[in-house]
This record gives sequence, C-alpha cells and structure tokens, in this order.
Amino acid sequence: MSHNEFKQMIQLSLYGELSDDKQKLLIAHLESCEECRMELEHQKKIMTLIADHKNLEVNEDLLKEARLQLRGALRQERNNVHSFNSFTNYILQLFSTPPRLAFGAVSVLILGIIIGSIFMGREKLIVNENDPKFTNASIFENDLRISNIQFIDSDPSDGEIDFTFDAVKQVHFKGNVNDPKVQSILTYAMLNDQNPGSRFNSINVMDSYGKVTLDKDIKDALITVTMTDNNQGVRREALKLLGRISFDESVKQTYLFVLLNDSSSALRIEALNALIEAAKSGHSLNQKDLDLVIKQAGQDNNNYIKLKSKTLLQEYN
Amino acid sequence: MELAEKELIIKAQNGDTIAFEQLVYNYDRAVLSIAMRYVRDEDDAKDIYQEVFIRVFRGLKKFEFRSEFSTWLFRITTNVCLTFKSRKKGQIMVSIQEEFDENQEGSETMDLISKQRSPEEETLNNDLGLLIGNAVDSLTTRQRITFVLKHYEGYKIREIAEMLNCKEGTVKKYLFDAVKNLKKKLKPLNALQS
Repeated sequence: MSHNEFKQMIQLSLYGELSDDKQKLLIAHLESCEECRMELEHQKKIMTLIADHKNLEVNEDLLKEARLQLRGALRQERNNVHSFNSFTNYILQLFSTPPRLAFGAVSVLILGIIIGSIFMGREKLIVNENDPKFTNASIFENDLRISNIQFIDSDPSDGEIDFTFDAVKQVHFKGNVNDPKVQSILTYAMLNDQNPGSRFNSINVMDSYGKVTLDKDIKDALITVTMTDNNQGVRREALKLLGRISFDESVKQTYLFVLLNDSSSALRIEALNALIEAAKSGHSLNQKDLDLVIKQAGQDNNNYIKLKSKTLLQEYN
Repeated sequence: MELAEKELIIKAQNGDTIAFEQLVYNYDRAVLSIAMRYVRDEDDAKDIYQEVFIRVFRGLKKFEFRSEFSTWLFRITTNVCLTFKSRKKGQIMVSIQEEFDENQEGSETMDLISKQRSPEEETLNNDLGLLIGNAVDSLTTRQRITFVLKHYEGYKIREIAEMLNCKEGTVKKYLFDAVKNLKKKLKPLNALQS
C-alpha cells in the first residue's frame, strides 16, 4: 500500500469513517512510518484550525427573515397554482357529467373562439397619431385606464417615439357584502392583489360589516393571508377577522403559527390573546401545542409575550 | 421515516398549508446552515433557502417515499448550491480547477487576501476565519459542498453520497482533493501557528 493511500486512510480515520481492519492496518503502519505520523499531525492541525473557525452560524433573526421571505414567495406560488387549477378544474367540471356535455362543448367552442380572436384573429392594435383611428376620444372613452406603458423607442430625437400600453376598463360593482359574488371578488383580491392597500381593504370591508357571514373558502383565504402575506398590516387585518370565525382546530393552529413564527410582536400578542380567550371559553390545547408554547413563546424577546404565555398555560392547566 | 413526518408530507401533498410550513420548519435551519456555509453571505444564503423550498413545494406531489424526505430535501439543497449564481455583481467566487503549482503557495495565499475589496473587508483580512473561509471558497463547487457537508455539518460520507447522488468513492475523492488543496492554501498559516 502506498503512502498516498495511507494518507487518505488518515483522513478517513480522523472522520471516524475507517473500517476496523483498515484502522488496525493504519495504526501498525504509523508505528513504523515517520512520514505518515507527520501527515497525521498535519491533518489534525488543519482540521482543528477549520473546526475552530466554523463561523457564520445561522442566527435566529436571519432564519426569521428567510422564513418571512419564503412565506411571500410561497403565497405567490400558491396563487399561480390556484389560478391554473381553478381554470382547469372548471373546464374539466364541464365534462364531468353527461347532461353537462352539450353545455361544456358549447362553452369550450365559445372559449376557443374568444382565445382564437385574441391570439390569432386579432392583430395587435398599431396606430400612429395621424391614423384616423387615433383620437383622444377613442383611446380614453368608456373609462379605459391606461397602464403598463412600455417604450419600444423612447428616443424623441427624430420627432417620434414608439410604445405599447394596456387599456383596462374599470368595472363598477355594487352589492351586499354577504353576496357570494362580492365575497368571491374580495377573496380573490385579498389573496392576489399586488397592492397591499387593496388586500387590506378587501379584508377590512368584510370586517367592518358586522353581520358578515364567512364561508370555508374565505376562512381558508384568511388563514393563508394571516400566515403568508408579507405585509404586516394585511396579516393583522386578516388575524382580526379570523377572530370572528368560530374557533376550531385550523384557527387554533393559525394562532399558534403566528405566536411562534410571526416577526411582528404586535401580531404575536394578538394571537396569544386570542388563544387565551379561547382557553377561557373552554377550548383546549393538546400537550404538544402547550410544549411548543412553553419552549418558544417562553423565550420570546418580547417580555409581554413571555409573561402572557404563562397566563395561557395557567388557563389551559 | 417517522409516522408524524409521513403524515405531514401526505397532508402537505394534499394542499395543507400548515403541514407544509411545519415540514419546512423541521428542516429549514439545516438548509440555511448549509447554504450559509457554502456561500458565506446572508443574502445569497436566503436566496438558496427560498429556491430550495420553492422546488420542494413544486415537487412534493411527486415525492413517492422511495427515499427519506430529508435525503430528497438535502439533494435539492446541494443541487441548488451547486448551480447557484450570486446576484451580487462583482462578487469573487474563486474556483480552482487545476492543481496548484507548489512554488506558488505563498502567492496563492496572498491572492486570497488581495481579493477583498472594501476597507471593512481589508480590516477583516486579519481574521483567520475569513482566510480559512476564502480558502474554502477557492475549492471547486463539488469539493466545496462535500467539504461543507462533512466538516461543518458533520454528515457521514454515505449520507453525502446520497445527497449528491453519487458513489461514496466519489465523495471521498472530493474530500481528499479538498483537504489537499486546503492544506496547500493554508500551509503558510499553519507554519505561522506552529
């Protein structure tokens, strides 16, 4: 066996990953080989040096930050999946029962015509200022909103510029907060709208209307928003509205999740208070959940939470 | 695989958000730790962390319990690390693909020192840990990930082979080469210390 092979065995031996037979062979060789004994000492020094400088430990703040960013990314990911699934499910549902077949076929035909007209039949509208199609009236009438202006040629040196834009028509909708159509739009907005203000308002209008009835879809949406929205104000609003839904396992798990993971102490306090109220009303936490509260909320950097978590434990005991 | 974990995975596969979050929280510290020690930069480590769990989220439905969940997760982690490109422009990620010239050991160490850019980083050059970190950075990507998993995270060679989807002999080769290269890089330091 060569020195090089023994040197490799030394490294494996230091890892504790050398078989017994080879370990004996190595020990016997080391007794008679000064070069390999020096190699052993050298490798030990290197490994000690490296082990002593195991810097860049993961700290709690970094982990919390990474978790929060991940929640936002997952929220976006779920929205993408949800939108795609909803569409495909809807199409598949059309074919799920024979009586619907004819209706489904007609719907798909209509859909095909629409898609065809969008992607094939309709050319991109290209106009210039001298074009008779272009008038202020035709572009701006009917409440069209101009957005997403993209410049193709923004250099005005030759007197012309070239750009595209989206002309979006605003829809005015008036209805009762308990109307399923209204709730469906608000639920979609709270989950999908890019503007946190719109997400906040979508939740807030349901919360402001005292007699609102919230179904399971809204509850699920509120749980998702409470756990994953990257805006603290939106999460707080969702948590508040969640408090008006009857307390059950999923609501309890959401409160626990917020208490143990949310970066905002205000939200953690609200979640803790909600759990205490639930305890007072006779709802129970299992031992595993209580252990989690003892372990993590008890170590919270917020003193109020530390103290209050003891109250929670007293209530459940 | 523990029953509780299997239940969590099945629930998460069926769209249970809380189960998925719990699954993430069972392993995310380890994932972030690997990423952190691999890239030695908080922002890059967070990018790797996010990419890993987004891939887990997308691929979870196809997970068929043919391996441990942890093996699958860490395989994704090592893949993401190996293909990671820092978004930070100008960041120097040295990769030594060829054998060193024995005569240039001193200048190699000096190169590692001179690669620092800002005045703050210049000050930190005196930090032994930074010098060692830079030496680890200079390894090839595969040498570096095996080195990090073995020396910093303490995984067995067999486990690392599963994560990298290669033979144990290959992992040993990466580790031998990594330590050999580090010894050369850190030789002047070692002499200084002794």
